[in-house]
Amino acid sequence: MATAVSPAVTPPTRGVQPLQAGEGHSFLLRRLHSLSGIVPIGAFLVEHFVSNFEALKGPVAYAQQVRFLNALPFVRVLEWTFIFLPLLYHAIYGLYIWFRGKSNVVYYPWAGNWMYVAQRWTGMIAFIYIGQHVWRQRFSGVSLPEHPGAAFHKVQMELSNPWILAFYAIAIIATCWHFAYGVWLFSAKWGITPGDKARRKMGYVCAALGIALVAIGLSSLYAFVGPWYKNAPADLTPAQITNGESTSSAPSNEPPASK
Amino acid sequence: MAERTVKFEVKRQSGPDAAVVWDKFELPYHPGMNVISSLREIAANPTTVDGKATTPIAYDSNCLEEVCGSCAMVINGKARMACSALIDNLEQPVKLQPLTKFPIVRDLMVDRSVLFENLKRVKAWVPLDGTYDLGSGPRILPQVQEENYPLSRCISCTICMEVCPQFNESTGFVGAATIAQVKLFNQHPTGKVLKEERLHALMGDGGIQECGYAQNCVQACPKQLPLTRAISDIGRDVIIQSVKDLFTT
Repeated sequence: MATAVSPAVTPPTRGVQPLQAGEGHSFLLRRLHSLSGIVPIGAFLVEHFVSNFEALKGPVAYAQQVRFLNALPFVRVLEWTFIFLPLLYHAIYGLYIWFRGKSNVVYYPWAGNWMYVAQRWTGMIAFIYIGQHVWRQRFSGVSLPEHPGAAFHKVQMELSNPWILAFYAIAIIATCWHFAYGVWLFSAKWGITPGDKARRKMGYVCAALGIALVAIGLSSLYAFVGPWYKNAPADLTPAQITNGESTSSAPSNEPPASK
Repeated sequence: MAERTVKFEVKRQSGPDAAVVWDKFELPYHPGMNVISSLREIAANPTTVDGKATTPIAYDSNCLEEVCGSCAMVINGKARMACSALIDNLEQPVKLQPLTKFPIVRDLMVDRSVLFENLKRVKAWVPLDGTYDLGSGPRILPQVQEENYPLSRCISCTICMEVCPQFNESTGFVGAATIAQVKLFNQHPTGKVLKEERLHALMGDGGIQECGYAQNCVQACPKQLPLTRAISDIGRDVIIQSVKDLFTT
């Protein structure tokens, strides 16, 4: 088929170069970035928010959840394969994507263009937050995998600083935004929602998802700083976690009346 | 009462590497005038506001009815077709600039051959060897015609590429227009013989994966092509093709 052969190629010498048809690995890397945001990172985000919601039931329930997660088979392998490495990849490749885009929202202030910019900034906030969060909660201080009973106290101490608390709240909103719009982008780019109507409906679904996650996240924060579980015990013994008893001397350490 | 006039500020450059100058012009107002008619009027008497004689402004244009795609330029900060930019609807002074993402030739003229090059690289055509009578072509269902017609209206103006945050020298992104043409020719019953080759081409560096879905393309397109829909559909086709390749090649 003679006409199926491309004519001789004379690329322009300046400006944006033409498509490198069929060459390079950026397709794989970029799609991996897109997918990793949904699974495993997005899935982990949901799990993490649901787990932290246990804090509303108090230090013992929270400790039970931490112990349960850390008792999963191959937990350290799971942690690195499905959380740390994908997060690191998603974050670093995401920055690379950001630096190569040239935002023009100043000239074209349209909704999609704003979301394009917001996706980059919320990703940056999430990256900085997750970096310090993982370092301070997972890799420094009391080691929670060995001392699940100390989990509530450790987070409570962290959040006692109002600046840190504000940072947590902002980061929760930014991360949920990034994830919810990320789901929308994923559906659009992978051809799950090609139609305008389908994309609009998906927009509502993702907005609801984002709002629900923010609500879960912020109410978990409240469990640590609100009046219900003030002065949680520094650690719980395995027996206390198992039997569901807490020996804190603090008088306010009672479950809320609504429970 | 003073005669009503229209003021223009034009970004000019006498060659690709020449210094940038902004020239100001003022024309008497006529009802229905547009940017191209104004540029022609300036060319008839190329004198700036301060009475300095200058060269006529170089620009591309042809059909004057928004079907040839030549006269795309940045008008008051937005990329659009100059022939359909009515002065009545523009704020003054009307600021004219060349498209920013393409190499300057002179004044408002830019070299947009990258689009033609991209269309060649995705084989955006229906392959036919016409040494003998092939008979009538396969029937195209009306539903497919309905879907194809809007895509066939592309005028290669490159506005979708100009407004795209991802279309730049570091990504080398192919741009929405080319992806839309891939969809058009992949849906053609004869053109789809090259479907796999087109999808493979779009997997290359600068391919469809570079789309950030800012959706400026579909907002700015003067011909209202369903560009985001095409990117979504072709995005799926490219992924399915890549998974197929994984197991069959």
